[in-house]
Amino acid sequence: MENVIKVDQLSKTYGNLLAVDHISISVKRGTVFGLLGANGAGKSTTIECILGTKEADQGQVSILGYHPQKDRHTLFQKVGVQFQESTYQPEIKVSELCEETACLYKHPADWRELCNQFGIGNMINKAVKSLSGGERQRLFIVLALIPNPEIVFLDELTTGLDAKARRDVWRILSDLKEKGLTIFLTSHFMDEVEALCDEICILQKGKIVFYGTVEQAKAVCGCEKFEDAYLKLSGEEVLGE
Amino acid sequence: MKSFAVLFKNELKLNIRNMNMVIFAVIMPLIVLVILGLLYGTKPAADGVEYTFMEQSIGGLCTISICAGGLMGLPLLVSEYRERKILKRFRVTPVSPIKLLAVEFSIYVMYCLVSMITLIPMAMIFWKVTIYGSWLAFLGSWLLTMISTLSIGMMVGGIAKNTKSASVIASLLYFPMLIFSGTTIPLEVMPETMQKIVNVFPITLGIQLMKTTFLGLPVNHIYLPVIVMGTVTVLCTVISIKYFKWE
Repeated sequence: MENVIKVDQLSKTYGNLLAVDHISISVKRGTVFGLLGANGAGKSTTIECILGTKEADQGQVSILGYHPQKDRHTLFQKVGVQFQESTYQPEIKVSELCEETACLYKHPADWRELCNQFGIGNMINKAVKSLSGGERQRLFIVLALIPNPEIVFLDELTTGLDAKARRDVWRILSDLKEKGLTIFLTSHFMDEVEALCDEICILQKGKIVFYGTVEQAKAVCGCEKFEDAYLKLSGEEVLGE
Repeated sequence: MKSFAVLFKNELKLNIRNMNMVIFAVIMPLIVLVILGLLYGTKPAADGVEYTFMEQSIGGLCTISICAGGLMGLPLLVSEYRERKILKRFRVTPVSPIKLLAVEFSIYVMYCLVSMITLIPMAMIFWKVTIYGSWLAFLGSWLLTMISTLSIGMMVGGIAKNTKSASVIASLLYFPMLIFSGTTIPLEVMPETMQKIVNVFPITLGIQLMKTTFLGLPVNHIYLPVIVMGTVTVLCTVISIKYFKWE
């Protein structure tokens, strides 16, 4: 299968801090890739360097064969992004934000349909700022899917969602994956990672400490539960155990 | 083109919802018009001239909205969108910075247009204001004044580090220009030295040109204001596109 995201020896420093340390990743078309790690491990910086919203100090990135900065106009017709922090114009309504996003693409998805799927169909006339955290999170997943993307980047996918909403999001993403969508996500929920991800990469202080499948992670650590394996691998193991 | 239209429609709605520009660019010029109208009525501008004080003031009144949009609204909006990371979200879409700037620019053009087409008919109806010069020349000078001032604003918004510094720079440009360039207070009532100082503002040149073309006075130095405002426009536009920052 074709690699649609290729990252080679990516590095980024902030002053003296090496936030991303020679990371190499490749993601195959139609798979779900999970980037894991504790807060501050470098997940968001890695995503931003891949997307070109941050300048990497070193390394090569190619998404669908395009350079994220030089070919941004072509690339982002095919790529949807949900950043960790959701940003929007102060007074904007859900419908306006969706419409404004949809108009930027050649073949946008039907955003009303997406809002219905994500359970915010009855919110479209509300101001975005009046939505609850979970509703807003779902809205920003909708925005990332509006381009009808080939690849979607979801940073902290289901933070702030309740159990039911999380399951709904998983189901929709699995369906989209069946149709060929490639998903690149970060998450702090290991059940979610286990349910969705074909491959994972665990970061610790900007370095890759594990790269493989969930099953392999469990095998390497001899853990039955993936969460235990994750804690062990990411160096976050709970003291006293 | 479709995306331009949709962005324009939505961004204009948001801008109107915010009300700042409705007040400062549309209502305030009308209030100043009414005050001047009540004070001067149909009195001539000076002894022995044919045109009235109100006719002389029209050009200035039309620039209140230009100042508000170009030196307050536009720079603050651009820097706010950057600081709130709204531009960052646009960065991971196919939209070009030029299109985004053009949309926001056009919104402030709308305000200036609305302000002008409310001011002039009102002045005509209530204070019998008539144009002695040519409409075409007047509109041309209005357009030049507006575009040059808005491009200054676009540049300030583009290069200011954050909303705070944009707001400081905007205030430093807005208030002196609003008060001393002949928008609200006619240049003629200011001391002569003051007049000389404010004559370096491009907007002062614009107002003088609008006044001359409205009153049909002989235009002596057409090249100076046209060259100054044209250069300002080109320079500021190039800078704001070249140094555009998403974050």
